[in-house]
Amino acid sequence: MGKLILRNLLRNKMRTLLTLSSVSLALFLFTLGSAFLAAIESTEGTAANRVVVRHRVSLTFSLPEAYAQRLATLDHVTAVTPLQWFGGTYIDQKPENFFPRFGSDPDTLFDVFSDYQITPEVLDAWRADRSGFIAGRILAEKYGWEVGDRITVKGDIFPLDLDLVFSGIFEQPDAESQEKQLFFHRRYMEEAMGNPGIIGTYWLNLDAAENVPAVTRAAEEMFANSAAPVRAETEEAFALSFLEMLGNVRLLLGAIGLAIIISILFITANTMAMAARDRTREVAVLRTLGFQRGQVTSLVLFESLLVGVLGAVLGAGLGALLVSGFAKAMESVFPVFGTMQASPQILSIALAVGLAIGLLSGVVPAFAASGRSIVDGLRRVG
Amino acid sequence: MSEPHSVVQVRNVRKSYRRDSFNIEVLKGIDLEIQHGEYVALMGPSGSGKSTLLNLLAGIDQPTGGSLSVAGQDVASLGESDLARWRHRHIGFIFQFYNLLPVLTAFENVELPLTLTRLPKAARRKKVQTALEVVGLADRMTHYPRQLSGGQEQRVAIARAIVTDPTLLLADEPTGDLDAESAAEVLDLLDQLNRDFEKAIIMVTHDPQAAGRAGRLVRLHKGQLVNDGD
Repeated sequence: MGKLILRNLLRNKMRTLLTLSSVSLALFLFTLGSAFLAAIESTEGTAANRVVVRHRVSLTFSLPEAYAQRLATLDHVTAVTPLQWFGGTYIDQKPENFFPRFGSDPDTLFDVFSDYQITPEVLDAWRADRSGFIAGRILAEKYGWEVGDRITVKGDIFPLDLDLVFSGIFEQPDAESQEKQLFFHRRYMEEAMGNPGIIGTYWLNLDAAENVPAVTRAAEEMFANSAAPVRAETEEAFALSFLEMLGNVRLLLGAIGLAIIISILFITANTMAMAARDRTREVAVLRTLGFQRGQVTSLVLFESLLVGVLGAVLGAGLGALLVSGFAKAMESVFPVFGTMQASPQILSIALAVGLAIGLLSGVVPAFAASGRSIVDGLRRVG
Repeated sequence: MSEPHSVVQVRNVRKSYRRDSFNIEVLKGIDLEIQHGEYVALMGPSGSGKSTLLNLLAGIDQPTGGSLSVAGQDVASLGESDLARWRHRHIGFIFQFYNLLPVLTAFENVELPLTLTRLPKAARRKKVQTALEVVGLADRMTHYPRQLSGGQEQRVAIARAIVTDPTLLLADEPTGDLDAESAAEVLDLLDQLNRDFEKAIIMVTHDPQAAGRAGRLVRLHKGQLVNDGD
């Protein structure tokens, strides 16, 4: 039986190849889309009791420095620290040399990011050196920075170049993407620019996660009528808000993915129906020889399942390879994509979808083939 | 009580089909008895019901009325699964257009019915080789149907029909698609199977020469037997 299924599958090689390719393509796109969605929705390293405060209008608008003290007075807020995105160019503009660089306050940064690990010696050394910077372990290892090394980050958004001295590393073992960042003294940048008082975001640490709604509400109300109204949200919501810039990606990708899979299902079903119809007479011969109706049904069904599973393995396999390569290429440019992977869950779903395509596309032709009377089948020409 | 050597007993068998609102009566009360080792030719004009009768005897179609016993079994009383098993055990069917599976070699085509048994691979192999030797194609085992002539294909089909050692061989115009030389070879082979292996054979044919090889000629006309003699 197995031999017959395989031979039948290879009988019309072009048809099989095209069907296999279409199933593979659908599951390749599915794997890619799912890995992409999983990556951008990943909230790795976010803390439930951290709140981000930014300008209500846009991230490109700054907040006054004075907000730090006022935010610190809110109930349940245990620490406040500012973060300013610097951007800039390190070495060159190649994607692999891109990583997040933030102007920060060494005195409060680790009060808020208490899940980060830094030795007291490194922290003291960094605090003592106005031009010092710290880097995540992965980033430091990538560039082989040793304490005392000097680097220059050329400004692009801001009109200054940062000459920085490496003070040491910090770690965040639970979220490797967080170890690809660099922090320097925001004060150093401010002074170099004549103290414009630029702060992009304030990060608050709360005493408990359940107080997040109260604090975000209070923070927004506090500055509601000011020149710089704020939006306060959890760190996770802040991370996900970047997606809004892309529109409703999940819905869009989901709709496209579903449309592709349904189209492929119809294409495969049509192909399997054609294949089964071509063999109507052979099916009747098999039954004349004594094959049971169920055995004949299985022949067609297993052939179609084989197409579905092979298509899934090929498509998801190629998708996983591409995702892995893409993640490597992107990890320094967009750390969020550096975590992109075709997880076992995604691959399992792809395999299940392949099986479903095989099963659904084969079930009607299989039962049609075995359901026809033997005499009618034998009469069929071709 | 049936005769001990009776392979086929057909009593008042009728068969009709419905086409739209019409009832078409194909067989109108057939009575026929065929003994073990008998070689019967079934002749008649197109539409006389020859193939329908053959299909009923093979258990691939059901009569509308009457009784039909083949190899001691009331065929109409069997359910679908039992009927398939019975067919596998007792019937060897030879088609006009051979109906070999094009994706399988001659060996694999002949082996096909044996895959439904629990015979070990070696035993299956031996039986297939024997069947192919009987039809004179032991040297064509690895050939695919497209690599064989029409006559050779039909001989492989005969090997497939006899490999399970069935009680009854049914041949539906086995020479209808062959040239004279190949047809003669196939008829020789059927003679041999009847003579040497005492196989009961019922052959539907339009060819008087082919019918002449049989021990008995049965004629059908408009669904009724018109002659049952030598």
